[in-house]
Amino acid sequence: MEIPPPPRVSGYALSGSKPYTISAEENAALCASIGARPAQDGTAHPIYFYIATQVGMGETVAGLCRVCEFDVEEGPMMAGSKVTFQRPLRTGQPYHVSGEIVSLIRKPSRKLGVMDMLEYVLRLSLADGTPVLSTTNVWVLPRKGLS
Amino acid sequence: MSAVVGAELKAFRVACVSPEGMKAWAKFLHDPNPIHLDPLVVRAKGLGDRVINQGPCNLAYVISMLQAALPQAALESIDVRYVDNVYGGDAVEAGGKVTAVAAEPAGTRVDCEVWLRAEGRPVITGKATLRAPATRA
Repeated sequence: MEIPPPPRVSGYALSGSKPYTISAEENAALCASIGARPAQDGTAHPIYFYIATQVGMGETVAGLCRVCEFDVEEGPMMAGSKVTFQRPLRTGQPYHVSGEIVSLIRKPSRKLGVMDMLEYVLRLSLADGTPVLSTTNVWVLPRKGLS
Repeated sequence: MSAVVGAELKAFRVACVSPEGMKAWAKFLHDPNPIHLDPLVVRAKGLGDRVINQGPCNLAYVISMLQAALPQAALESIDVRYVDNVYGGDAVEAGGKVTAVAAEPAGTRVDCEVWLRAEGRPVITGKATLRAPATRA
């Protein structure tokens, strides 16, 4: 059986309408939740690369799935993340989020039947455009209806 | 900076991943996916009997391991694959190994393999690069 092509979503913009700010209180709570100590120099836990970009990108996880014509109830799975920092993240600093969907590739899977691999890139920058980080995430969207 | 190629990084361990922590992470991430909050939903989806920890929280354990093992160095990049889930109540251990050390004008670059295991199962695998400030002679 021929697999139908995935939705054309490459280039779809993921840019938040308002900046994301890491609060010192939430950073402390996050560190406590994983048994780590918050830094005393105003830097935030680096995992905020993921949180700030996800929360600030202007789409919820469910919304991002919807763009890909995928119901979040079908269970998207994180496959990979990578990030490169140009500077450390700081609490109290507003960050602007921009990015786009890189690709949505449909392929057969021995385990899942048919799946889509969603790759999107997100960037954080300061208000003056100074780059802070760039991150790429890959999600697996199992297409049970096509299997 | 004392990183040496081949050296094992000091492990970061959590004895019991807490479902309460997952509720906190649902707020941090603005993501109310019930597989992180309600074991009945997990069971209904055929994914097991316990709530599933958020992937970014699993990655945070790995990053915290790097920060504790190499406190003078800043994380420059990390690239990981999520290969399995962590469930509520699991014991997890993040660890790694130094694969390269290079003195560069911008400071000492340290490349590492990193991993996270839950009850001995691989959950995250990947690599990271950290940089320590150049020291003056």
